[in-house]
Amino acid sequence: MSKNHGFRRYGLRTFCSLLGAAVLVAAATVFIFFLPQDAQSARRSTSFLCMDCHPEAKELISKGNVHKPVKLGLCTSCHNPHASKHANLIGSDINALCYNCHDQKRVLAGTEVHAPVEEGACLECHDPHSSNQKGLLKKTASEACYSCHPRKDISAKKNVHPEVKKGNCLGCHRPHASDRAGLLTKDRRRLCTGCHSAKDERLVSSHRGLNVAKADCIGCHSPHSSDNVGILKASMHKPFKDRKCGACHLPGSSKVSRTGTRLCTECHESKMSDFNKRYSHLVNGDGLNPCVNCHNPHSSDEEYLLKDKEERLCFSCHEDTEKLTAKSNFTHAEIQKCSSCHVSHGSNEQYFLAAGEGTCSTEQCHATQGRFTHPVGDEVIDPRSNTPMNCSTCHNPMGSPEEFILRGGKDRELCIQCHQV
Amino acid sequence: MMSSIKLKWLIVLFALAAPLLHSTRGYCAQQRNVELIAMIGKDEVMGTFNEPAALFYDESKQRLYVADTVNNRLVSFDQGFTFLASLVHENFALPMGIVKLSTGEFFITDGEKAKVIFIDVKNKIIEPLNIRNVPPAAERFLAGRIAIGGDEHLYVIDRLNKRILVVDRNGNFLRSITARGREFYGFNDVRVDDRGFVYAVDTLAAKVYVFNDKGRLVSKFGGDGRLVFPVSVAVDSRGYVYVLDRHPGVIRIFDKTGRLQYDLLKKGYNPGELYNPSYIYIDAKDRIFTIDGNRVQVFKEKR
Repeated sequence: MSKNHGFRRYGLRTFCSLLGAAVLVAAATVFIFFLPQDAQSARRSTSFLCMDCHPEAKELISKGNVHKPVKLGLCTSCHNPHASKHANLIGSDINALCYNCHDQKRVLAGTEVHAPVEEGACLECHDPHSSNQKGLLKKTASEACYSCHPRKDISAKKNVHPEVKKGNCLGCHRPHASDRAGLLTKDRRRLCTGCHSAKDERLVSSHRGLNVAKADCIGCHSPHSSDNVGILKASMHKPFKDRKCGACHLPGSSKVSRTGTRLCTECHESKMSDFNKRYSHLVNGDGLNPCVNCHNPHSSDEEYLLKDKEERLCFSCHEDTEKLTAKSNFTHAEIQKCSSCHVSHGSNEQYFLAAGEGTCSTEQCHATQGRFTHPVGDEVIDPRSNTPMNCSTCHNPMGSPEEFILRGGKDRELCIQCHQV
Repeated sequence: MMSSIKLKWLIVLFALAAPLLHSTRGYCAQQRNVELIAMIGKDEVMGTFNEPAALFYDESKQRLYVADTVNNRLVSFDQGFTFLASLVHENFALPMGIVKLSTGEFFITDGEKAKVIFIDVKNKIIEPLNIRNVPPAAERFLAGRIAIGGDEHLYVIDRLNKRILVVDRNGNFLRSITARGREFYGFNDVRVDDRGFVYAVDTLAAKVYVFNDKGRLVSKFGGDGRLVFPVSVAVDSRGYVYVLDRHPGVIRIFDKTGRLQYDLLKKGYNPGELYNPSYIYIDAKDRIFTIDGNRVQVFKEKR
């Protein structure tokens, strides 16, 4: 057999095989790219289709961690290619959109939900396309946190908690939801002992030999930073600062030397008269000493050694006011600073107002109100209740769906309650 | 197309489920009508109330007495609710509670000194009641609201010690009444019915406690969302418990075991409405007296 004859014979067979394969590949290509029967195949084409007009999007999707639907080319799983009432042609409300794939129950599992999560602002922290950070975060975890929780409030003091220094916010906090206040990962009494052994010699000696295994560390120490040694909180109760534990405690014990309010009134007797008012906050909660319902006897970052930020502290009992405030379109400007208007121990004025109805018209606030607007005062009688009118007759500073925190619509609804047409 | 059998089944299911849905929907209870008999708050002679905290109706004399707290006075009205007189005295301030004995003497609680004050108008005696032989407690005694039983014993709330002291008219301690449990924050108001049952309200826990005449707890209810911020309690002649819920501005009526019967009134400033009410009282004729802000309103229920 000549070489030529053999070539012609095998060449034809190869040619036929290659042609057959090419036809098969072409058919498969047509099937994958152009036939719409298989939905996933059809969607896969969208990324190519979209990139034709949106080449800039390539950059969006080219970082280290790519969102799964982006990786699969499923642009239309989030974007509507034709029309949408949401920005960027997003198919539906962003909150609902994320929960189409991410189990809402899991994300929101807990009694405390992080505000942006509750508001459905997932994109405040996450990049929906790709990111160089874990969890598709837009920035590093700590930078993401600092964009809402200013660094100066967290880590700007002299002594910084090492984990804060490392930017390990998620070491102690959950980003979405938790059953614990402050979105903590564990019960606050157990959280610290995860790293700090209560048996550690230095720790034991700095607490004068007291067993602090079950102590509430965050009660005295700032978990973030402080100008004080041992990251103790900013304001310290004088006996605590002077290390005179015996002023309140039995020697060598965490037990207190006197029961109830007597422990505090030994030094602060004059404060008791603050409570003997028409409206009083003297309630014996589940603690034995009602003073510690609100105050920390050791140290605090808040004024008057308050246990927590004013707003959080007050809302811990006044839950329905918190709900009203949260759902209202309009609230008073300093709603988080309760003590701007209210006194905390007791008052002869309704709502514990500091200066009754004069609270609103103090020089620094609404000094001119009532002079040129609707008259108020003892001589102006509310025909509905036959009692004098005041600011809160028409306004509800804690919250209202109406502009100017009015108790009814300003165009008609409120006025006709008294001014019959 | 849904078959007619399926449709019928759906209708039956809905009919069965409707009452259940109604009973669980935010604890909505049926509203009943009441007639507003009187509204007292401002009078040319009397002036205006200033944060009144309590009232008492004397059945034998047909007199209404109001503790006009921030005006530091007691005010009386006749049966037509016309102002009669007021009593101001340096020996008491911020009257927070008021009861009257059948012999005509008053006991009030002084909010400024947190003590019980005895007032004998006829003999012009106004002095603190010395309560004797009280078992020691963790806290000092600070008197809260006061109630009176059919046997003329006084029921005084010992605010800080989370108990009610039962004392006779001479101040002799008879017994104390309290509740237990983590979710117990202390009593804000107390009332006693004709049979000696004691009704007390724990505002922070949003619960009502019912004790028998021996001071034993017979029932408690609330704390489950049916009450928001209950501040005062009263009992009518049927034995129904009227709980004044401050924040929603309603009176919720329960039977003694805590079954919700119906609601009265609604939140608002208008006559016949309640805005942040603070006190409820029911007289022998089942007239309902409420205090909200600087007004007293008197209602008669249409049953």
